[in-house]
Amino acid sequence: MTTSTLPAVATARPLPRRLGNVIRLHLANPFTILVTPLMVLGLIFLINWVIWLLVRTATPTDPDTVADVSTGLQYSGASMWTFVYMMVVAIMAMNLTFSLALGFGSTRRDFSLGTAVTFLGLSAGWALLYTGLAMVEKATNGWGLGGAMFNSFYFGIDESWGVRLFNAFVAFLFFFAIGTVFGAIYVRFRARGLILFFLALALVLIGLVALATVTASWGAFAEFFVAIGWFGGYALSLPLSLVAGVAGHLILRRATPRS
Amino acid sequence: MTTVVEVRDLSKHFGPVRAVESVSFRLEENRIYGLLGRNGAGKTTLMSLLTGQEFASSGRIEIFGESPVENARVLEQVCFIKESQKYPDDFKVKHVLRTAPWFFPNWDQDFADQLVTDFRLPLDGRMKKISRGQFSAVGVVVGLASRAPLTFFDEPYLGLDAVARQLFYDRLLEDYSEHPRTIVLSTHLIDEVSDLLEHVLLIDDGRLIVDQAADDLRGSATTVVGGREAVEAFIGTREVLHRDGLGGLASVTVARLSDTERQAARAAGLELGGVSLQQLVVRLTSGTPTDFEEKSA
Repeated sequence: MTTSTLPAVATARPLPRRLGNVIRLHLANPFTILVTPLMVLGLIFLINWVIWLLVRTATPTDPDTVADVSTGLQYSGASMWTFVYMMVVAIMAMNLTFSLALGFGSTRRDFSLGTAVTFLGLSAGWALLYTGLAMVEKATNGWGLGGAMFNSFYFGIDESWGVRLFNAFVAFLFFFAIGTVFGAIYVRFRARGLILFFLALALVLIGLVALATVTASWGAFAEFFVAIGWFGGYALSLPLSLVAGVAGHLILRRATPRS
Repeated sequence: MTTVVEVRDLSKHFGPVRAVESVSFRLEENRIYGLLGRNGAGKTTLMSLLTGQEFASSGRIEIFGESPVENARVLEQVCFIKESQKYPDDFKVKHVLRTAPWFFPNWDQDFADQLVTDFRLPLDGRMKKISRGQFSAVGVVVGLASRAPLTFFDEPYLGLDAVARQLFYDRLLEDYSEHPRTIVLSTHLIDEVSDLLEHVLLIDDGRLIVDQAADDLRGSATTVVGGREAVEAFIGTREVLHRDGLGGLASVTVARLSDTERQAARAAGLELGGVSLQQLVVRLTSGTPTDFEEKSA
């Protein structure tokens, strides 16, 4: 045999460098992942601000009414759409960015880890932004109009800022995580896999509802959530996010890019 | 000679479809290979297997002596320009060209810039909106500027106009002579790349049916042209690969002729011609009806 096999190629570049490349790839076009949602958020804020102005001019100005309206506005879900948007960001990342990363010679493992770091970072960034804006909102008495968009009931309005930051962080993380698993199922098992997954999920949820109804434990269910409070409730999402993230990683390990 | 790719008994089945079936071959360092075959023959699947994007059903692949699957060390040395590469939504040409250098250790930015100018790439064009030719050109730029020791081009010039195709061949050859590496060109448009290729792998219906130096392959057949009777007399009982005729003239392709046979043919007043790679490939892979044959049948 006249041929000889090349000695092992040069060692790969270090892991942090490879993960950094994946992170940068996710953020390469910041428009989709950052600029667009920020712009939409700004637009929603403006619309809300106009509504607050209208409400303020149309309602009596005695302190009781003002306080009442202000409390009511805290149930606004105006800032909630970003979570859904981030879930879509995660799905698209699994589908398309995965394909490009592999095209650029990234391994699935590096892509998975880099993506996890990216989503952790984005969750932290959004949580900081949301909590920061909530602090501003509170300090300016609802942007001068008693309005509420970020100082929202849903993050636990009576909790400390630290807890609210945590709540927002794990909420974003949860949506990234389920987006990851949906996207990974789609890439690996295509649309049929996703349909089967949602059917199975629906059956499990219906089963749980049936179980709670038959055993008459809805009261206990409600009491449990009241007892653990906002912080406990949000903290409960962490194991779910972890399971979804790990599942997404495992599903992607044997996935091939769509073409 | 140094082997950079070694494939043994490689198969890839998608359910009942045998996309790649018991394929074995080696690729040597610093050569240009043509991976030829008809649409759906298994060319893209084979390259996806070699670059770890697909998982083999059975068989072994060694790239630089190691399995490419999930192997960062190997994959950093490999560039696969896929004809159907997907890009993130809203990715523009500039985003592809900005991100690619991070992943390829040998990337040459000056060369990339030059190629962008040569191909007149619209940097602000969205990958989803630009023409098929421009889309292909983005791949060509990445594939050439990456200078990966093992580079795969999957149908690199789909939609490229004649000028751009020529540009691709010229730049490829220039850069290859300055920075030798192993290049695999997959295509079903054979005549245009024919001169570039040093070695040909021909795949048909998932099976490797030719693994031969391009020159040997070209010399493996001869076309005999002349008066019908003289040609028929010369052919005798030889195996005929292809037969054409017009009036009293005949053009018949036969297997390789010896020097004596060539002299005999010339003495009989016959003309001997070469056979293009494309003609050979058409003859070797047209066992199943082509579109043309189906239509004319």
